[in-house]
Amino acid sequence: MGKRPPITNRVREMRESHGGMSQAALGEAIGVTRQTVIAIEQGRYSPSLESAFRIARLFGVGVEDVFGWEE
Amino acid sequence: MAFREKSAWVMAAVTGLAGLYYLNLIVAIARDLGEVPPAAGAFVPFVILIIAASIAAQVALAILEPREADRPADERERPILAVAGNWSGLVLGIGAVTALLHFLYYKDGDLLFHMVMGSLILSQFSEYLFQILLFRRGV
Repeated sequence: MGKRPPITNRVREMRESHGGMSQAALGEAIGVTRQTVIAIEQGRYSPSLESAFRIARLFGVGVEDVFGWEE
Repeated sequence: MAFREKSAWVMAAVTGLAGLYYLNLIVAIARDLGEVPPAAGAFVPFVILIIAASIAAQVALAILEPREADRPADERERPILAVAGNWSGLVLGIGAVTALLHFLYYKDGDLLFHMVMGSLILSQFSEYLFQILLFRRGV
């Protein structure tokens, strides 16, 4: 804990491009709190594989379209 | 603020205030007797207060946010709660070992009781503080 994970994401961008879905609504849809969605968007927390898939499927894209690895 | 962080703040306040109340009772007994024996007159009210206040606080939080209260901890909250529990266990362990070492040297059973009791209260209080710290650090 504490060290920023080297995983980038486009969750905020995806959320905004899908009708400005709120962080709370996204959290509700994938089963996490709004604070966890905020932590994911800010890159402070890497979601579990299950949540990553849930986010990608919700936006109708692949996991690699939402998440990336920062070299 | 997430429900569990709110809960940690409220429970930290409840535990802290109940701890101060207990300390106040002990000091009053010490003033009356000139010594500090373990006393049911302090222990029992403290236990009743902390149980009643904890239930009241949790019920109030659940009434204010019923959906959040009903939801289990999510994947980010679970490790935070576990780490806070581990760290508070260390606080309890350090306090208990310190109390035992003190007893070995000074053979003061009264102080042993108070040090263990204090360690229990401090450990529980620190668990909520660790939760708040970890929630606020944003992990």
